[in-house]
Amino acid sequence: MDTPSQPDSLLSRGSHLSDPSQAYTFHTDLDNLSGGTTETALGASISSIHKISTLNLRHTVDLRAITYGGTVDENLVCPICRCPFVDPVLTDCDHVFCRACIDDALSHGELCPVDRLPLSQATIARAPKMVFNQLDALKAKCPCCGNIFARAILENHLEKYCLEAMVRCPGSLSEQGCTQVVKRRLSTQQCLHYPAQCPDCYETLEQIEMESHRQTLCRDRTKLCDYCEVEILRCEEIEHKAECPDVLQICKWAQYGCQHESKRRDLYLHADDCHFKSIGPMAEMLKVEISSLRDDVRNLTETNQLQERRIKFLESGQRASDRPMDLMDLSLASMPEAASTDSLDSGHDYLLSLLETQQSRLSHLSAELSDFQGKNTMMLFNETLPIKNELAELRSTQQVTCMHVRWLMRFRMQENQRRFGVSPGLASTGGPDGGNGFGSDITLSRRLSDSSRDVITKL
Amino acid sequence: MASSQKRITKELAEVLGNPPEGIAVNLVDEGNVHNWNIVMDGPEGSPYEGGKFKLLLVLPTDYPFKPPKISFKTRIWHPNVTFDEHGSMCIGILKPEAWKPSSKIMSVLTATQNLLAEPVPDDAVETSAAEKFKNDRPLFNREAREYTRKYAK
Ligand SMILES: [Zn+2]
Ligand SMILES: [Zn+2]
Ligand SMILES: [Zn+2]
Ligand SMILES: [Zn+2]
Ligand SMILES: [Zn+2]
Ligand SMILES: [Zn+2]
Ligand SMILES: [Zn+2]
Repeated sequence: MDTPSQPDSLLSRGSHLSDPSQAYTFHTDLDNLSGGTTETALGASISSIHKISTLNLRHTVDLRAITYGGTVDENLVCPICRCPFVDPVLTDCDHVFCRACIDDALSHGELCPVDRLPLSQATIARAPKMVFNQLDALKAKCPCCGNIFARAILENHLEKYCLEAMVRCPGSLSEQGCTQVVKRRLSTQQCLHYPAQCPDCYETLEQIEMESHRQTLCRDRTKLCDYCEVEILRCEEIEHKAECPDVLQICKWAQYGCQHESKRRDLYLHADDCHFKSIGPMAEMLKVEISSLRDDVRNLTETNQLQERRIKFLESGQRASDRPMDLMDLSLASMPEAASTDSLDSGHDYLLSLLETQQSRLSHLSAELSDFQGKNTMMLFNETLPIKNELAELRSTQQVTCMHVRWLMRFRMQENQRRFGVSPGLASTGGPDGGNGFGSDITLSRRLSDSSRDVITKL
Repeated sequence: MASSQKRITKELAEVLGNPPEGIAVNLVDEGNVHNWNIVMDGPEGSPYEGGKFKLLLVLPTDYPFKPPKISFKTRIWHPNVTFDEHGSMCIGILKPEAWKPSSKIMSVLTATQNLLAEPVPDDAVETSAAEKFKNDRPLFNREAREYTRKYAK
């Protein structure tokens, strides 16, 4: 980096834009380098430096000359110039004009151009921000490329992006110090400002002009197509040939053997007569089929290799397990042994076999586990069954006892009745009937049997 | 291009794109937007009905700050138009003391059309015509129709 190339040094200098004094020296520096071009003789403002550090030029757009997309709101149109406002101002009679337009109007007389009320510079103020915003959002057509942009960004678009806008020739950054301007579209290559010969008319002109020359200006720019005899541009001959209806073309089944060749426009006539018209699609189909089969075969080979490896491993495992070995003894330590006894050649095979051992151990363990679970359930069932039986037995015994007791109680009560006849003490248990308790034997006996039944049920 | 020319070009495009009923416009000289040839049909129901009147619209270089001038190239018997080779017309909105730069040529043209239909005798330039219009309307109408037949066919 002792002697950086010029563009490099320009770029690195361009990054010190924040310091105005440095920016200024940078500016004069470039003036010398590029041979003091008029474009670089702008003020040392940030924007001009940015412009120089790249190839951009400052563009000022005449906002009254551009085309606007769609219909512009009548309220945004200046009554003097009939264009959407440029730098609008508001009068104290509530009318809006372009700054330039009202200045012009006031120079002809101090009257409002709309209502003829007295007006002077003193009573004019900047229009509200809202008006500016609406104007900024207007759809404006780029005067160079014709694309539509918000009016506010049009100048920026031209300055930095528009492919059809003028920028400094890239030659301005190199030794030659070209001072010309070119369209941005053409600024990606090196300087095109060198003489070249038109391949059509043999005139000498600048390379930068060549494209438009060959397309529109050259007196020999056209020729008749060798095939269809339609007038075409020489510079577009190749593109034309690719679609010329009279160029000879081969049948689309040529690769399967059709020898037919005819003009592009007539090729469709051959389509029906072609001997390959049925074979062609079939061959095409077969081709697809074959390729898919090939894929299948490849997949199968791969799987097969895998399987083979697995078999090899299992065989080696078999040999190892011939020796007496507990489940827990089929440990990792035993694997290298197995590997060494058999020809598990690569590390992959070894790892694979290791994995498989682990897998088999795992499956073994899970089998054990489920076995154990089954045993457990069985045991539990066996143990609970006798308890259940016993319980049922106890329940039935209890019922029998209950019946016995009931029968005995009833028997005892009947005994008592027969022995004592009517007993006042017993009758007093009846609440409301207490007064005429001695009324009849039948009532008493029924009441007694009732209360005794209650006692029995409580048992 | 001067700002006045830009505005005139815009207005010309507007008038050509959407011409008012009974008015035809073209430039006297293609390279100069300041002079317009206008052919105006006599309004229906007026004594000028059936006539085709040629007018010249001249837009000053400081248009729209100065009003345009309209003159009749076809002779017309009308209180507000001089009955001579100048055919000078007097119409309120074109007077310097009344002109508003915000007025459009389109509205000037329709105002002229309205003036043919409804003369303004109090603002007359052709006083004898104005007198007859005020005092003997049938006579005025007959004369106006006659001149229309004579000059404006
Ligand atoms: Zn006003
Ligand atoms: Zn304006
Ligand atoms: Zn553009
Ligand atoms: Zn160059
Ligand atoms: Zn050429
Ligand atoms: Zn061709
Ligand atoms: Zn064929």
